[in-house]
Amino acid sequence: MINNSNGWKEFFSSRKNVIFTGIFIGISAAFLQKLGNPPNMGICVACMLRDTAGALGLHRAEVVQYIRPEISGFVLGSLIAALIFKEFKPRAGSAPLVRLVLGFWAMVGSLVFLGCPWRTLLRLAGGDGNALFGLVGLIVGIIIGIFFIKAGYNLGRNERTYPLVGWIMPVVMVVLLLLLIFRPQLPSGAVFFSRQGPGAQHAPIFIALLVALGIGFLAQRTRFCTVAAVRDVILIRDNYLITGVISLWLAAFISNLLLGQFHPGFTGQPIAHSSQLWNFGGMVLAGLAFTLAGGCPGRQLFLTGEGDADAAFFILGMMGGASFAHNFATASSSTGPSPWGPPAVIIGFIVCLIIGFSRSDLGRAKEGEKNE
Amino acid sequence: MKGSYGVVIFYSTSAALRAESLAKRENLKIKLIPVPRHLSSDCGVCLRFESEERATLQKILQEGKVEYKDICNL
Repeated sequence: MINNSNGWKEFFSSRKNVIFTGIFIGISAAFLQKLGNPPNMGICVACMLRDTAGALGLHRAEVVQYIRPEISGFVLGSLIAALIFKEFKPRAGSAPLVRLVLGFWAMVGSLVFLGCPWRTLLRLAGGDGNALFGLVGLIVGIIIGIFFIKAGYNLGRNERTYPLVGWIMPVVMVVLLLLLIFRPQLPSGAVFFSRQGPGAQHAPIFIALLVALGIGFLAQRTRFCTVAAVRDVILIRDNYLITGVISLWLAAFISNLLLGQFHPGFTGQPIAHSSQLWNFGGMVLAGLAFTLAGGCPGRQLFLTGEGDADAAFFILGMMGGASFAHNFATASSSTGPSPWGPPAVIIGFIVCLIIGFSRSDLGRAKEGEKNE
Repeated sequence: MKGSYGVVIFYSTSAALRAESLAKRENLKIKLIPVPRHLSSDCGVCLRFESEERATLQKILQEGKVEYKDICNL
Protein backbone atom coordinates (compact mmCIF):
# COMPACT_ATOMS: atom_id res chain seq x y z
CA MET A 1 0.00 0.00 0.00
CA ILE A 2 2.65 2.47 1.08
CA ASN A 3 4.72 1.58 -1.94
CA ASN A 4 1.72 2.10 -4.12
CA SER A 5 0.87 5.53 -2.81
CA ASN A 6 4.52 6.53 -3.03
CA GLY A 7 4.45 5.42 -6.63
CA TRP A 8 1.49 7.67 -7.36
CA LYS A 9 3.08 10.53 -5.46
CA GLU A 10 6.19 10.20 -7.56
CA PHE A 11 4.10 9.94 -10.70
CA PHE A 12 2.41 13.24 -9.96
CA SER A 13 5.41 15.10 -8.61
CA SER A 14 7.53 14.32 -11.65
CA ARG A 15 4.65 15.30 -13.90
CA LYS A 16 2.96 18.04 -11.95
CA ASN A 17 4.22 20.83 -14.18
CA VAL A 18 3.09 19.23 -17.41
CA ILE A 19 -0.25 18.28 -15.81
CA PHE A 20 -0.64 21.87 -14.62
CA THR A 21 0.18 23.13 -18.13
CA GLY A 22 -2.45 20.84 -19.65
CA ILE A 23 -5.05 21.95 -17.10
CA PHE A 24 -4.17 25.61 -17.67
CA ILE A 25 -4.57 25.26 -21.45
CA GLY A 26 -7.84 23.32 -21.09
CA ILE A 27 -9.44 25.81 -18.71
CA SER A 28 -8.11 28.78 -20.69
CA ALA A 29 -9.60 27.44 -23.90
CA ALA A 30 -13.03 27.00 -22.33
CA PHE A 31 -12.94 30.50 -20.84
CA LEU A 32 -11.63 32.17 -24.00
CA GLN A 33 -14.62 30.61 -25.74
CA LYS A 34 -16.91 31.96 -23.01
CA LEU A 35 -15.30 35.37 -23.49
CA GLY A 36 -15.96 35.40 -27.22
CA ASN A 37 -13.70 33.01 -29.13
CA PRO A 38 -15.51 30.72 -31.61
CA PRO A 39 -17.17 27.55 -30.25
CA ASN A 40 -14.88 24.61 -29.49
CA MET A 41 -12.13 26.90 -30.72
CA GLY A 42 -11.06 28.63 -27.53
CA ILE A 43 -7.59 27.83 -28.76
CA CYS A 44 -6.69 26.34 -32.13
CA VAL A 45 -3.25 27.00 -33.51
CA ALA A 46 -4.19 26.08 -37.08
CA CYS A 47 -7.40 28.15 -37.11
CA MET A 48 -5.68 31.09 -35.45
CA LEU A 49 -2.82 31.10 -37.94
CA ARG A 50 -5.42 30.87 -40.71
CA ASP A 51 -7.36 33.84 -39.31
CA THR A 52 -4.15 35.85 -39.03
CA ALA A 53 -3.18 35.00 -42.64
CA GLY A 54 -6.64 36.22 -43.66
CA ALA A 55 -6.30 39.49 -41.76
CA LEU A 56 -3.08 40.18 -43.64
CA GLY A 57 -4.91 39.57 -46.92
CA LEU A 58 -3.14 36.33 -47.80
CA HIS A 59 -6.55 34.80 -48.39
CA ARG A 60 -9.95 36.41 -48.95
CA ALA A 61 -12.30 34.19 -46.99
CA GLU A 62 -14.15 37.07 -45.37
CA VAL A 63 -15.46 35.11 -42.39
CA VAL A 64 -12.03 34.04 -41.09
CA GLN A 65 -9.93 37.19 -40.94
CA TYR A 66 -8.63 38.38 -37.59
CA ILE A 67 -5.17 38.84 -36.09
CA ARG A 68 -5.31 36.38 -33.22
CA PRO A 69 -3.31 37.76 -30.29
CA GLU A 70 -3.00 34.22 -28.93
CA ILE A 71 -0.44 33.39 -31.65
CA SER A 72 1.78 36.31 -30.63
CA GLY A 73 1.27 35.40 -26.97
CA PHE A 74 2.44 31.81 -27.50
CA VAL A 75 5.65 32.90 -29.21
CA LEU A 76 6.40 35.78 -26.83
CA GLY A 77 5.54 33.75 -23.70
CA SER A 78 7.94 31.06 -24.81
CA LEU A 79 10.56 33.74 -25.62
CA ILE A 80 10.26 35.20 -22.11
CA ALA A 81 10.64 31.77 -20.49
CA ALA A 82 13.58 30.93 -22.75
CA LEU A 83 15.32 34.21 -21.92
CA ILE A 84 14.80 33.83 -18.16
CA PHE A 85 16.01 30.23 -18.09
CA LYS A 86 18.80 30.79 -20.60
CA GLU A 87 17.29 28.56 -23.25
CA PHE A 88 17.03 31.20 -25.96
CA LYS A 89 19.26 29.49 -28.50
CA PRO A 90 19.01 30.85 -32.04
CA ARG A 91 19.44 27.89 -34.37
CA ALA A 92 18.74 27.14 -38.02
CA GLY A 93 19.70 25.03 -40.96
CA SER A 94 17.69 21.82 -40.64
CA ALA A 95 15.98 21.66 -44.03
CA PRO A 96 13.95 24.88 -43.77
CA LEU A 97 12.27 24.48 -47.15
CA VAL A 98 11.20 20.91 -46.38
CA ARG A 99 9.74 22.13 -43.09
CA LEU A 100 7.90 24.87 -44.96
CA VAL A 101 6.37 22.21 -47.21
CA LEU A 102 5.44 20.04 -44.21
CA GLY A 103 3.78 23.04 -42.54
CA PHE A 104 1.90 23.78 -45.74
CA TRP A 105 0.40 20.28 -45.99
CA ALA A 106 -0.18 20.01 -42.25
CA MET A 107 -2.42 23.06 -42.58
CA VAL A 108 -4.20 21.78 -45.69
CA GLY A 109 -4.99 18.55 -43.80
CA SER A 110 -6.04 20.40 -40.65
CA LEU A 111 -8.44 22.59 -42.63
CA VAL A 112 -10.13 19.57 -44.22
CA PHE A 113 -10.83 18.28 -40.70
CA LEU A 114 -11.22 21.83 -39.30
CA GLY A 115 -8.78 21.94 -36.42
CA CYS A 116 -5.28 21.29 -35.14
CA PRO A 117 -4.50 18.60 -32.52
CA TRP A 118 -5.45 21.03 -29.73
CA ARG A 119 -8.80 21.76 -31.30
CA THR A 120 -9.33 18.03 -31.84
CA LEU A 121 -9.16 17.65 -28.06
CA LEU A 122 -11.28 20.76 -27.49
CA ARG A 123 -13.94 19.60 -29.93
CA LEU A 124 -14.11 16.27 -28.09
CA ALA A 125 -14.30 18.15 -24.79
CA GLY A 126 -17.21 20.15 -26.20
CA GLY A 127 -19.09 16.98 -27.17
CA ASP A 128 -18.32 16.97 -30.91
CA GLY A 129 -18.26 13.27 -31.82
CA ASN A 130 -16.91 13.97 -35.31
CA ALA A 131 -13.61 14.87 -33.68
CA LEU A 132 -13.17 11.21 -32.70
CA PHE A 133 -12.50 10.44 -36.36
CA GLY A 134 -10.02 13.29 -36.49
CA LEU A 135 -8.28 11.97 -33.38
CA VAL A 136 -7.99 8.47 -34.83
CA GLY A 137 -6.66 10.00 -38.06
CA LEU A 138 -4.11 12.03 -36.11
CA ILE A 139 -2.86 8.92 -34.30
CA VAL A 140 -2.67 6.94 -37.55
CA GLY A 141 -0.69 9.81 -39.12
CA ILE A 142 1.71 9.82 -36.18
CA ILE A 143 2.14 6.03 -36.44
CA ILE A 144 3.06 6.37 -40.13
CA GLY A 145 5.56 9.07 -39.11
CA ILE A 146 7.04 6.74 -36.47
CA PHE A 147 7.49 4.11 -39.16
CA PHE A 148 9.81 6.54 -40.96
CA ILE A 149 11.60 7.58 -37.75
CA LYS A 150 12.30 3.91 -37.03
CA ALA A 151 13.69 3.63 -40.55
CA GLY A 152 16.24 6.34 -39.83
CA TYR A 153 14.24 9.41 -40.92
CA ASN A 154 15.72 12.78 -40.07
CA LEU A 155 15.92 16.19 -41.69
CA GLY A 156 19.54 16.84 -40.82
CA ARG A 157 20.73 18.72 -37.82
CA ASN A 158 20.45 22.39 -37.06
CA GLU A 159 23.34 24.70 -36.14
CA ARG A 160 23.60 27.47 -33.60
CA THR A 161 23.42 30.79 -35.33
CA TYR A 162 23.62 34.50 -34.54
CA PRO A 163 20.98 36.12 -32.28
CA LEU A 164 19.38 38.18 -35.07
CA VAL A 165 17.84 35.01 -36.53
CA GLY A 166 16.08 34.18 -33.28
CA TRP A 167 14.66 37.68 -32.88
CA ILE A 168 12.97 37.94 -36.27
CA MET A 169 9.78 36.06 -35.40
CA PRO A 170 9.30 37.70 -31.99
CA VAL A 171 9.52 41.09 -33.73
CA VAL A 172 6.99 39.94 -36.33
CA MET A 173 4.69 38.89 -33.47
CA VAL A 174 4.95 42.33 -31.85
CA VAL A 175 4.18 43.97 -35.21
CA LEU A 176 1.10 41.74 -35.56
CA LEU A 177 -0.05 42.86 -32.10
CA LEU A 178 0.41 46.51 -33.06
CA LEU A 179 -1.61 45.97 -36.26
CA LEU A 180 -4.34 44.39 -34.15
CA ILE A 181 -4.41 47.18 -31.59
CA PHE A 182 -4.21 50.14 -33.98
CA ARG A 183 -6.14 48.54 -36.88
CA PRO A 184 -4.73 50.65 -39.72
CA GLN A 185 -7.06 50.79 -42.72
CA LEU A 186 -5.22 50.94 -46.05
CA PRO A 187 -6.88 51.65 -49.41
CA SER A 188 -6.35 47.98 -50.32
CA GLY A 189 -8.72 47.06 -47.49
CA ALA A 190 -5.94 45.67 -45.30
CA VAL A 191 -5.84 45.03 -42.41
CA PHE A 192 -8.89 42.78 -42.91
CA PHE A 193 -11.17 42.05 -39.98
CA SER A 194 -14.22 39.80 -40.34
CA ARG A 195 -17.59 41.42 -39.67
CA GLN A 196 -19.31 38.06 -39.27
CA GLY A 197 -18.45 34.39 -38.88
CA PRO A 198 -15.74 32.86 -36.70
CA GLY A 199 -13.33 35.68 -37.53
CA ALA A 200 -15.68 38.17 -35.85
CA GLN A 201 -15.81 36.09 -32.68
CA HIS A 202 -13.00 36.83 -30.30
CA ALA A 203 -12.17 37.31 -26.64
CA PRO A 204 -10.93 40.73 -25.45
CA ILE A 205 -7.45 41.32 -26.86
CA PHE A 206 -5.53 41.79 -23.64
CA ILE A 207 -7.11 38.87 -21.81
CA ALA A 208 -6.39 36.58 -24.77
CA LEU A 209 -2.83 37.89 -24.96
CA LEU A 210 -2.18 37.43 -21.23
CA VAL A 211 -3.56 33.90 -21.21
CA ALA A 212 -1.49 33.01 -24.28
CA LEU A 213 1.66 34.49 -22.73
CA GLY A 214 1.06 32.21 -19.73
CA ILE A 215 0.55 29.17 -21.95
CA GLY A 216 3.67 29.98 -23.99
CA PHE A 217 5.70 30.35 -20.81
CA LEU A 218 4.48 27.07 -19.27
CA ALA A 219 4.72 25.11 -22.50
CA GLN A 220 8.30 26.22 -23.07
CA ARG A 221 9.20 25.00 -19.59
CA THR A 222 7.42 21.65 -19.88
CA ARG A 223 8.01 20.94 -23.63
CA PHE A 224 4.25 20.44 -23.95
CA CYS A 225 3.50 18.81 -27.32
CA THR A 226 0.49 16.77 -28.35
CA VAL A 227 2.18 14.96 -31.22
CA ALA A 228 5.34 14.10 -29.28
CA ALA A 229 3.04 12.86 -26.49
CA VAL A 230 1.57 10.18 -28.73
CA ARG A 231 4.95 9.48 -30.32
CA ASP A 232 6.62 8.93 -26.92
CA VAL A 233 3.90 6.52 -25.79
CA ILE A 234 4.21 4.42 -28.94
CA LEU A 235 7.95 4.70 -29.54
CA ILE A 236 9.48 4.59 -26.06
CA ARG A 237 6.51 3.80 -23.79
CA ASP A 238 6.91 7.07 -21.93
CA ASN A 239 3.80 8.81 -20.60
CA TYR A 240 5.21 12.16 -19.40
CA LEU A 241 3.74 14.32 -22.18
CA ILE A 242 0.54 12.31 -22.61
CA THR A 243 -0.45 13.03 -18.99
CA GLY A 244 -0.37 16.72 -19.93
CA VAL A 245 -2.48 16.11 -23.01
CA ILE A 246 -5.06 14.09 -21.07
CA SER A 247 -5.14 16.85 -18.42
CA LEU A 248 -5.86 19.39 -21.15
CA TRP A 249 -8.80 17.36 -22.40
CA LEU A 250 -10.20 16.66 -18.91
CA ALA A 251 -9.87 20.28 -17.80
CA ALA A 252 -11.58 21.53 -20.95
CA PHE A 253 -14.31 18.91 -20.59
CA ILE A 254 -15.08 19.80 -16.97
CA SER A 255 -14.91 23.54 -17.69
CA ASN A 256 -17.29 23.10 -20.61
CA LEU A 257 -19.74 21.19 -18.39
CA LEU A 258 -19.63 23.96 -15.79
CA LEU A 259 -19.96 26.73 -18.37
CA GLY A 260 -22.80 25.01 -20.24
CA GLN A 261 -20.63 24.58 -23.33
CA PHE A 262 -20.93 20.79 -23.56
CA HIS A 263 -23.27 19.69 -26.36
CA PRO A 264 -22.79 16.01 -27.23
CA GLY A 265 -23.65 14.82 -30.71
CA PHE A 266 -22.55 14.49 -34.31
CA THR A 267 -24.83 16.90 -36.15
CA GLY A 268 -24.96 20.65 -35.91
CA GLN A 269 -21.57 20.86 -34.21
CA PRO A 270 -19.96 24.29 -34.54
CA ILE A 271 -17.36 24.78 -37.28
CA ALA A 272 -17.31 21.05 -38.01
CA HIS A 273 -18.70 18.61 -40.56
CA SER A 274 -19.78 14.98 -40.46
CA SER A 275 -17.90 13.56 -43.41
CA GLN A 276 -16.02 11.07 -41.27
CA LEU A 277 -13.77 9.73 -44.01
CA TRP A 278 -12.29 13.19 -44.54
CA ASN A 279 -12.26 14.11 -40.87
CA PHE A 280 -10.06 11.05 -40.61
CA GLY A 281 -8.10 11.61 -43.84
CA GLY A 282 -7.36 15.27 -43.17
CA MET A 283 -5.84 14.45 -39.82
CA VAL A 284 -3.82 11.48 -41.12
CA LEU A 285 -2.10 13.98 -43.40
CA ALA A 286 -1.69 16.53 -40.61
CA GLY A 287 -0.44 13.94 -38.10
CA LEU A 288 2.13 12.61 -40.56
CA ALA A 289 3.35 16.11 -41.44
CA PHE A 290 3.59 17.13 -37.76
CA THR A 291 5.54 13.98 -36.88
CA LEU A 292 7.96 14.40 -39.78
CA ALA A 293 8.52 17.99 -38.63
CA GLY A 294 8.98 16.92 -35.00
CA GLY A 295 6.02 18.51 -33.25
CA CYS A 296 2.47 19.82 -33.22
CA PRO A 297 1.80 23.40 -34.34
CA GLY A 298 1.67 24.67 -30.76
CA ARG A 299 5.07 23.21 -30.12
CA GLN A 300 6.40 24.76 -33.34
CA LEU A 301 5.31 28.19 -32.05
CA PHE A 302 7.03 27.62 -28.70
CA LEU A 303 10.21 26.50 -30.49
CA THR A 304 9.99 29.63 -32.64
CA GLY A 305 9.99 31.66 -29.43
CA GLU A 306 13.17 29.86 -28.32
CA GLY A 307 14.90 31.01 -31.50
CA ASP A 308 14.37 27.93 -33.68
CA ALA A 309 14.26 29.31 -37.23
CA ASP A 310 13.36 25.92 -38.67
CA ALA A 311 10.19 25.81 -36.58
CA ALA A 312 9.48 29.33 -37.83
CA PHE A 313 9.61 28.02 -41.41
CA PHE A 314 7.04 25.40 -40.45
CA ILE A 315 4.77 28.17 -39.13
CA LEU A 316 5.25 30.24 -42.30
CA GLY A 317 4.44 27.11 -44.29
CA MET A 318 1.23 26.72 -42.27
CA MET A 319 0.24 30.29 -43.10
CA GLY A 320 0.97 29.60 -46.76
CA GLY A 321 -1.07 26.40 -46.52
CA ALA A 322 -3.99 28.30 -44.97
CA SER A 323 -3.91 30.83 -47.78
CA PHE A 324 -3.80 28.06 -50.36
CA ALA A 325 -6.61 26.15 -48.65
CA HIS A 326 -8.97 29.12 -48.84
CA ASN A 327 -7.85 30.59 -52.17
CA PHE A 328 -7.96 27.21 -53.91
CA ALA A 329 -11.04 26.03 -52.01
CA THR A 330 -9.62 22.93 -50.37
CA ALA A 331 -10.76 23.91 -46.86
CA SER A 332 -13.94 22.30 -45.57
CA SER A 333 -16.96 24.21 -44.33
CA SER A 334 -19.68 23.16 -41.91
CA THR A 335 -21.57 21.64 -44.84
CA GLY A 336 -18.71 19.22 -45.53
CA PRO A 337 -15.44 18.92 -47.42
CA SER A 338 -15.11 20.96 -50.61
CA PRO A 339 -14.70 18.99 -53.87
CA TRP A 340 -11.02 19.95 -53.89
CA GLY A 341 -10.33 18.93 -50.28
CA PRO A 342 -9.93 15.16 -50.75
CA PRO A 343 -7.63 15.40 -53.81
CA ALA A 344 -5.50 17.94 -51.92
CA VAL A 345 -5.23 15.57 -48.95
CA ILE A 346 -4.14 12.73 -51.22
CA ILE A 347 -1.53 14.89 -52.97
CA GLY A 348 -0.23 16.15 -49.61
CA PHE A 349 -0.05 12.60 -48.32
CA ILE A 350 2.02 11.54 -51.33
CA VAL A 351 4.35 14.54 -50.84
CA CYS A 352 4.84 13.61 -47.16
CA LEU A 353 5.51 9.97 -48.08
CA ILE A 354 8.15 11.11 -50.57
CA ILE A 355 9.80 13.24 -47.87
CA GLY A 356 9.65 10.33 -45.42
CA PHE A 357 11.09 7.81 -47.84
CA SER A 358 13.81 10.03 -49.23
CA ARG A 359 15.04 11.17 -45.81
CA SER A 360 15.08 7.70 -44.23
CA ASP A 361 17.28 4.68 -44.91
CA LEU A 362 14.58 3.36 -47.23
CA GLY A 363 15.44 6.03 -49.77
CA ARG A 364 19.00 6.89 -48.84
CA ALA A 365 20.25 3.32 -49.29
CA LYS A 366 19.47 3.69 -52.97
CA GLU A 367 21.38 6.93 -53.20
CA GLY A 368 24.39 5.21 -51.64
CA GLU A 369 24.30 7.77 -48.83
CA LYS A 370 24.07 5.24 -46.04
CA ASN A 371 27.36 4.94 -44.21
CA GLU A 372 27.51 1.53 -42.65
CA MET B 1 20.66 0.14 -4.97
CA LYS B 2 20.68 1.82 -8.32
CA GLY B 3 23.92 3.15 -9.73
CA SER B 4 24.22 6.56 -11.30
CA TYR B 5 23.01 7.28 -14.78
CA GLY B 6 24.03 9.36 -17.75
CA VAL B 7 22.34 10.19 -21.03
CA VAL B 8 23.46 10.55 -24.62
CA ILE B 9 21.69 13.30 -26.54
CA PHE B 10 21.37 12.95 -30.29
CA TYR B 11 20.56 15.17 -33.24
CA SER B 12 17.63 13.03 -34.29
CA THR B 13 15.21 10.47 -32.90
CA SER B 14 16.32 7.95 -35.48
CA ALA B 15 19.95 8.26 -34.34
CA ALA B 16 18.77 7.52 -30.79
CA LEU B 17 16.92 4.44 -32.02
CA ARG B 18 19.98 3.24 -33.91
CA ALA B 19 22.17 3.73 -30.83
CA GLU B 20 19.63 1.80 -28.78
CA SER B 21 19.68 -1.18 -31.10
CA LEU B 22 23.50 -1.20 -31.26
CA ALA B 23 23.80 -1.02 -27.47
CA LYS B 24 21.15 -3.67 -26.96
CA ARG B 25 23.08 -6.01 -29.20
CA GLU B 26 25.99 -5.66 -26.73
CA ASN B 27 23.63 -6.23 -23.78
CA LEU B 28 24.17 -2.82 -22.20
CA LYS B 29 21.58 -1.73 -19.65
CA ILE B 30 20.20 1.20 -21.59
CA LYS B 31 16.77 2.75 -22.03
CA LEU B 32 15.30 5.38 -24.33
CA ILE B 33 13.80 8.25 -22.33
CA PRO B 34 12.59 11.75 -23.21
CA VAL B 35 15.41 14.28 -23.00
CA PRO B 36 15.46 15.54 -19.39
CA ARG B 37 14.04 19.05 -19.38
CA HIS B 38 17.02 20.64 -17.66
CA LEU B 39 19.42 19.38 -20.32
CA SER B 40 17.72 20.49 -23.48
CA SER B 41 14.43 21.94 -24.62
CA ASP B 42 14.15 19.50 -27.51
CA CYS B 43 11.11 17.26 -27.32
CA GLY B 44 13.20 14.37 -28.59
CA VAL B 45 14.34 11.19 -26.96
CA CYS B 46 17.75 10.31 -25.56
CA LEU B 47 19.55 7.18 -24.41
CA ARG B 48 19.99 6.61 -20.69
CA PHE B 49 22.90 4.42 -19.62
CA GLU B 50 24.47 3.24 -16.36
CA SER B 51 27.58 5.25 -15.60
CA GLU B 52 29.91 2.26 -15.37
CA GLU B 53 29.03 1.35 -18.96
CA ARG B 54 29.86 4.80 -20.31
CA ALA B 55 33.16 3.88 -21.96
CA THR B 56 31.71 0.78 -23.63
CA LEU B 57 28.76 2.74 -24.94
CA GLN B 58 30.99 5.49 -26.31
CA LYS B 59 33.03 2.88 -28.13
CA ILE B 60 29.90 1.30 -29.61
CA LEU B 61 28.64 4.68 -30.81
CA GLN B 62 32.01 5.47 -32.34
CA GLU B 63 32.27 2.14 -34.12
CA GLY B 64 28.67 2.34 -35.29
CA LYS B 65 29.31 5.91 -36.53
CA VAL B 66 26.31 7.25 -34.63
CA GLU B 67 26.67 11.00 -34.31
CA TYR B 68 25.66 12.45 -30.98
CA LYS B 69 25.36 15.92 -29.57
CA ASP B 70 26.38 15.45 -25.99
CA ILE B 71 26.85 13.02 -23.11
CA CYS B 72 25.70 14.23 -19.69
CA ASN B 73 25.51 12.81 -16.20
CA LEU B 74 22.10 12.66 -14.59
